[in-house]
Amino acid sequence: MSEANNDPVVVVKDVCKEYRKNDNVLTVLHNMNLELSAGDYVSLMGPSGSGKSTLLNLIAGLDKPTSGSVFVCGQDLAKTSQSALAKWRSRHVGFIFQMYNLIPVLTAYENVELPLTLTPLKKSQRAQQVKTALEIVGLGDRMDHYPRQLSGGQEQRVSIARAIATDPTLIVADEPTGDLDAKSGNEILELMERLNSEFGKTIIMVTHDPRAAARAKRNLNLLDGRLVSDSEVQKAEHST
Amino acid sequence: MIPIKYNIRSLSVRWVTTLLTIIAIAIVVFASILTFGMIEGIDNAFKSSGDADDLIVMRNGSSDEMSSTIAPEVARDLLTVEGVATDSDGEPLVAREFVTIMISSRRGKDATANVIVRGTEKASRTLRPAFKIIEGRDLEPGVNELIASKKMAERFEGAGLGEVTEINNVDFKVVGLFEAGGSAAESEVWADLRDLTAAQRIEGAVSVVNLRVPDEEKRLALIDRIKGDEQFKLDALPEETYFGNLQSSSSTALKVIAYIIAFFLTIGAMFAASNTMYAAVASRGREIGTLRALGFSRRTVLISFVCESLVICLLGGLLGCLMTVPLNGLTGGTQGSTFSEVTFSFSFGPKVLAQGMILALAMGLIGGLFPALRAIRLQVVNALRQR
Ligand SMILES: Nc1ncnc2c1ncn2[C@@H]1O[C@H](COP(=O)(O)OP(=O)(O)O)[C@@H](O)[C@H]1O
Ligand SMILES: [Mg+2]
Repeated sequence: MSEANNDPVVVVKDVCKEYRKNDNVLTVLHNMNLELSAGDYVSLMGPSGSGKSTLLNLIAGLDKPTSGSVFVCGQDLAKTSQSALAKWRSRHVGFIFQMYNLIPVLTAYENVELPLTLTPLKKSQRAQQVKTALEIVGLGDRMDHYPRQLSGGQEQRVSIARAIATDPTLIVADEPTGDLDAKSGNEILELMERLNSEFGKTIIMVTHDPRAAARAKRNLNLLDGRLVSDSEVQKAEHST
Repeated sequence: MIPIKYNIRSLSVRWVTTLLTIIAIAIVVFASILTFGMIEGIDNAFKSSGDADDLIVMRNGSSDEMSSTIAPEVARDLLTVEGVATDSDGEPLVAREFVTIMISSRRGKDATANVIVRGTEKASRTLRPAFKIIEGRDLEPGVNELIASKKMAERFEGAGLGEVTEINNVDFKVVGLFEAGGSAAESEVWADLRDLTAAQRIEGAVSVVNLRVPDEEKRLALIDRIKGDEQFKLDALPEETYFGNLQSSSSTALKVIAYIIAFFLTIGAMFAASNTMYAAVASRGREIGTLRALGFSRRTVLISFVCESLVICLLGGLLGCLMTVPLNGLTGGTQGSTFSEVTFSFSFGPKVLAQGMILALAMGLIGGLFPALRAIRLQVVNALRQR
C-alpha cells in the first residue's frame, strides 16, 4: 500500500504565519521549511504556544499561510479556494484530535461513516469500509455504541477509524494521547505505528510526551515558531 | 449531505427546548389557520351564493337588495321573459323576493343584531344552491310561517324550530330549518312573499327578482334589455357579480386585519425558532469545526442547520394543523355590508392547512438562516478551538 515514488508528500516552503489582532501582529511561524516523504511518521514537539498546531493545520489544509507555500499530495494549498480545500481534505487527510471530536449523537458506525458520505461510494461499499476500519482499531463489536458509552481510549480508536475510513494519504494527529491515561495512550500509539508500518500512511503527530515521540520515525522540535531540531529516531529493528 | 438523523437526534438531545419551541410554533400556526379558516369561510359564504346561470334584477343604483324596490307590475312582467329555465314541475325559475331586516336577540347573550328576513316564492328554493329542509317542513304560504337557516336558528332567539317571532306585530311561527350549501341564504330567515309584505303593510312590494337563464346568449340579451329599458330603471347582474361586490366590501377589512395579525404572530414565532437555533449553534462550535475539517463545505453545514430549524417548525406546523381538527364545523358570525348578520363555517380545507404549513416553512427557513450563517462564520481552526 505504501507509495512507490519518492516525491515528498508534504512540502512546506518559506512559510510565515501571522495572526493580527487590531494593530498587533503575532508571528507564530517564521520562515518555515519542511518536507515529509511518503511513509514518514513524524512527531512534532515543542512548548505550548510554539506553533505546533498552527503548522499542523497548515499542512492539513485547515488554514492558509500568510506567506510561502504548502504543497501536500501535489496540491498548492495556499492557492486553493476554501470550498476546494474542503473537498481536498475529505480525500487526502485523516484527522485525529486530542478531544476525539466524535459527533455525540452519532454511533461509532455512523461517526466513521460520516466522512465516507462525502465520497461517491454506495451505501453497501461504505458499510464495508466502516466495518474494516472499526475492525482495524479493534472495535468491530462496538459499532452501535454512542461515544458516551465508550471509554476515552475507545473513543479515540473510533476517531482513528474515522480518520482511515476514506483511506487518506496523510494522517494528522494533534496530541492524540493528550487526554488519555498511559495504558490507553499506549494502545493508540501502537495503532498509529500500525497505520504507518502496515498501511503505509504518512503521519504527522503533535505531542508533548517524549515517549510518544520516540515511537515515531522522525522528531521535529519547534520553539517560538522556528524548527530547532529535526532528527531520525534510532530504533532497534524489531523485524527484518 | 450531512444526514438528517444528525439534526433530529441533536434536537431530541435538547428535547425540552425543542418541545417548547414546537409548541410555540404550533400555537402560532394554529392561530393563523383559525384566522385563514375564518376568511376562507366568509369567502365561501359569498362564493357559494352565486350561480353563473342566475341573474338578480334590482333597481338601478342599488348596491344591495334591501335598498332596491321594483314596481309590482314590472316584476310581474319578468315572470314571463324568454329563456327562463323551468323546474322539474315545469314551473319557471323566477322568484320575486322582498327583503327586510329585523332586530333579533342573540341566544345566550345580551346583544342584538340585524337579521335578514326574506319574503320568498316557491322558485326561491331551487334558485339557491343545495337548498334543503333538514328539520321540520317547508312553510305553507298564507298562514304566517317561517323557515330559518340552521345556523341562524342556533344563533338567534325566535329563529329556532317551533319558536314564534313578531314581525311588525304579526306573529310568525318557525316550522322548518334549512341549509343552502353555505351560501348567503344561510344567514337568513325566510317567509312567504305575500305574508311578509302583508305584515309590513306594503302588500305586493318586491325588492328583487331572481331568475335562471341557462343559455348564455339569451342571458346576455336579457341583461341588455333590462338595462336598456328607460322606463324600468332596473339593473340585472349575474349573481356572481352581485355577491362578489358584497363580499369585497364586507370582508376586505377583516382580511387585512387577519393577515396583519398572522404576520406579527409569525414574526414572533420566527424569533422563537431563531433563538433555539442560536443556542444550538453556540453549543456545537467544535462539532461544526469537526464537520468542516472532515470536508463538509460551508454550504453543506449551512443547509444542515437550516434543515434542523425546518424540522422544528414543520413539526410545530403539523401540531398546529392537528389542533384544528376538533374545531371542524365551527361556525361564526360577522357583520355584512348591510349590517346584517352573515354566518359562515370555519373552513380548514387543504388550502388553509397549506397556508399554515407555508407559514411554518417560512418560520423555519428565515428563523434558521441567521443562526446557520453564524454557524459557518468562523474559520475552521477557530471553530475547532471552541470548548
Ligand atoms: N486563531 C488565532 N488567532 C490568534 N492567535 C492564535 C490563533 N491560533 C493560534 N494563535 C496563537 O498562536 C500561537 C501558537 O498557537 P498554537 O499553534 O496553537 O500552539 P501550540 O499548538 O504549539 O500550543 C499561540 O500563541 C496562540 O495563542
Ligand atoms: Mg496545540
